[in-house]
Amino acid sequence: MAPIRVLMAKPGLDGHDRGAKVVSRALRDAGMEVIYTGLRQSPEQIVQAAIQEDVDIIGLSCLSGAHNSLFPKVVELLKARGAGEIAVFGGGVIPEADIPGLRAAGIEAVFTPGTSLEEIVTFIRERVSGQ
Amino acid sequence: MTSCWQRQLAKAITKIENMDPQALAEAASLPLDNSSVQIIGVTGPPGGGKSTLCSQLIEALASKHKVAALLVDPSSPFSGGAILGDRIRMQALVSNPNVYIRSLSNRGNAGGVGSSVVSILRAVMSAGFDYIIIETVGAGQSEVKIASIADTTLVVSVPNLGDDIQAVKSGILEIADILVINKADLPGVDSLYIALRESAQKHVDGWTVPLCQTVALEGLGIDALLVEIDNHWQWLQQAGRLLEKRKLAAKFEIMELSRVLLQKHLDKVPADVLARNLNRKDINLLQRLDEVYSELLNLFGEV
Repeated sequence: MAPIRVLMAKPGLDGHDRGAKVVSRALRDAGMEVIYTGLRQSPEQIVQAAIQEDVDIIGLSCLSGAHNSLFPKVVELLKARGAGEIAVFGGGVIPEADIPGLRAAGIEAVFTPGTSLEEIVTFIRERVSGQ
Repeated sequence: MTSCWQRQLAKAITKIENMDPQALAEAASLPLDNSSVQIIGVTGPPGGGKSTLCSQLIEALASKHKVAALLVDPSSPFSGGAILGDRIRMQALVSNPNVYIRSLSNRGNAGGVGSSVVSILRAVMSAGFDYIIIETVGAGQSEVKIASIADTTLVVSVPNLGDDIQAVKSGILEIADILVINKADLPGVDSLYIALRESAQKHVDGWTVPLCQTVALEGLGIDALLVEIDNHWQWLQQAGRLLEKRKLAAKFEIMELSRVLLQKHLDKVPADVLARNLNRKDINLLQRLDEVYSELLNLFGEV
């Protein structure tokens, strides 16, 4: 069976990548291929990497508070480049009040502190295999 | 627009990687003898600076040429998943329209690269690059498959990995077309240099394996390394050896495709035999297995 390919990216300027790394390890342990791009990526860089890597889904981690501008930008760029079928989910320190707006902008799931790793794995599996 | 052809290529690579029969057949119909593309293999121990070195080489080459990079990292022996992290060192290159970067898992294969890498090479080659760089998984002493695939193989060493006997052992050092000592600003570089110069440098039909020193993180020694890479390319062409190299790659491809197809049978046949025999009432597998054994012999024949 073809492994699910995931791009894990940190848009914006914060340097806290522990969360992204923990999630990456959990996805690896669930049999997925995780491309980890490192810190301080622009939405353009993330979308270009996602296209080159032919991923099924992108995970965005942001702890700086800039999620409302950065996450939707990734979805917009994917659509603009003809890669709109690549799904996007997000995580980090994100206020509950911001989640509906992010969902409306095409971020299909938002995982905040306290989420179990299993929940994230299950979401990705169902989302990607359900295509 | 760049993203359009890159997306097509990326999707083709995924299918080949997943051993999709149609994609493999399409890849197999593409030529491997394009002599305007140089395939550069980069191997060496984990943490030796391969990704950083590749990043520098790609950046330098991409100022005038189109460059593709295939970056291989290991898959987990337990889950089959992988964390592919070579791109971290290549952030500056992502937006360069002359550069295509693809991370690959070795999908459990020993030797430093996956089984489908040459089929992937055919697809990448047909997309019109001037250089294709393949970075292997962090290699130990015997990951030597890259030498069958690349035109020019760089073996990266770093100081302080062991005593000088490490340098005279057989294996990975012997496959180098170019030896690179990276992190050459670290103490211990002089003894490594002497050990490699004395034991690992070879002379093959007019090609003397050069010994380069780099500090990839700071971009030092990259220009000199590029000159040697080009020298080797000129030598391959003048000595008429390029097509021999590519034949080696095709041979590797045939062996790997055979192995993968055979493995599918190997996985399937015992499962079928088990399904037929495990619950039979007339024989007890714990008492005697001779009927099953003769069925296996009938299926496989004697080798």
